[in-house]
Amino acid sequence: MYEELLEDIAQHNRLREVNTGTKLTAGLGAVILCLLSASFVAPLFIALVLTATLLVLARIDPATYGKAFFGPLFFAGLGVGAIVLLAGGEGTFWSWQPLPWFSLSVTQASINQGIFIFSRVIGGTSALLFIAFTTPMTDLFLVMRRARMPEEVLDLAMIIYRSIFLIMDQMVQVYQAQLMRLGYSSFRESIRSFATLAGSVFIASWEAGEDLTRAMEARCYEGKFAVLGEERSLSLPSIAAVVSFLAVSAAVVGATSQIRLF
Amino acid sequence: MHIMEGFLPPEWALFWWVLALPCLAFGIFQLKKILAADREALPLLGVTGGFIFILSSLKLPSVTGSCSHPTGTGLSSVCFGPWVTSVICAIVLLFQSLFLAHGGLSVLGANIISMGVVGPLAGWAIYRALRDTRVNMFFTVFLVCAIADLCTYIVTSLELALAYPAEVGGVVSSFILFLGIFAITQVPLAIVEGVVLALVFKYIVQLKPEILVRLKVFPEVKIRAAAGDA
Repeated sequence: MYEELLEDIAQHNRLREVNTGTKLTAGLGAVILCLLSASFVAPLFIALVLTATLLVLARIDPATYGKAFFGPLFFAGLGVGAIVLLAGGEGTFWSWQPLPWFSLSVTQASINQGIFIFSRVIGGTSALLFIAFTTPMTDLFLVMRRARMPEEVLDLAMIIYRSIFLIMDQMVQVYQAQLMRLGYSSFRESIRSFATLAGSVFIASWEAGEDLTRAMEARCYEGKFAVLGEERSLSLPSIAAVVSFLAVSAAVVGATSQIRLF
Repeated sequence: MHIMEGFLPPEWALFWWVLALPCLAFGIFQLKKILAADREALPLLGVTGGFIFILSSLKLPSVTGSCSHPTGTGLSSVCFGPWVTSVICAIVLLFQSLFLAHGGLSVLGANIISMGVVGPLAGWAIYRALRDTRVNMFFTVFLVCAIADLCTYIVTSLELALAYPAEVGGVVSSFILFLGIFAITQVPLAIVEGVVLALVFKYIVQLKPEILVRLKVFPEVKIRAAAGDA
């Protein structure tokens, strides 16, 4: 029920010390290239490169990575299935029209489209996981401040970030206590237990919020948190690696735009 | 369930971003106003955001056993208003895509519109309509949360249908199909979310009614009466 947050892993991955901007350029660039691609080849290529980078260079545990990767894909599969049935097009294999305005079919074109969308999700997910596994949120706050994000929003984001861990701890403790007392033995019981769990955690975190207000007042908070973060220096090899990755991927996007599976 | 990274074609991802940005700007404007009036609100908004994050990363005890999750935005919308909820939601969605690979960056705009704008707005409309009537307070909270959750999924289906219209029947029939897929898990889930959050609300009324009185969620008399009854 409470999966390990990717954040914990990001705190001690091997690419932690690489400049945040360099890593973000790689991740965001990959997201954009996946969207621009017109065939299924380029996103899969991007996914392959980023996965290899994560497993080999960042030394992410393959089992953890697999779990984070395949969870979302299952739901993508459902959505893609619906699109394959709806999209229609040339080369019909199977079709069914229960109502005049509603028809389901499987065609050559729709299978191609389904594969294309699915590969884009694979590419996009790998780019997202690349950022998630290599860049802790604390580093991103620094980038956000430099990008002129409004102070209020940034402060709010940092408090939310902090409270997630506080609330999570409490939630796990209460949940385990409830579980031991058979709080989730039946459906009715689990609704009741879950409500008291959420209620008590809400009140507890509210009180934590009030404590935080007092602590901040005592330290003369006036509407701006100091963001502490080390500057991670730019390094030539990593910039070269990211630039060549993006260039090769862009070339793949351009070269493979006509390729279809069927 | 949020739309996943890469699922929407670029033009639609951009379209939803363009729609989401003015909503966020207005939310930030309201947030600044609230914070200028009462600086103590910031930590409280923060823990609410943390709460939404946890709630929407959790699997509720759902009948179908799917990974559907509550959105938790109804409660925040009632407490702080819909636009501030949009900002909180946007931050939460960003964290979810970067902590759990849940949602995505290019589709963040679409997810903000469904979970952070339309859901809370719908919930808030119901709350405003029923707040000063004689309708039971807990039933109001139930409706607000259930409707906010349902509207979120209706808009998600619409976003998918607009991007991928069916060959026969166009957007309408693909909307119906996506809605059908979601409805299997989402209708029971919305009801469960409504019940759970109404119970949470009852629990807060019993143990710490000051919170609700301070936020002026319901008239004080009503809250005091409910707390006294319990």
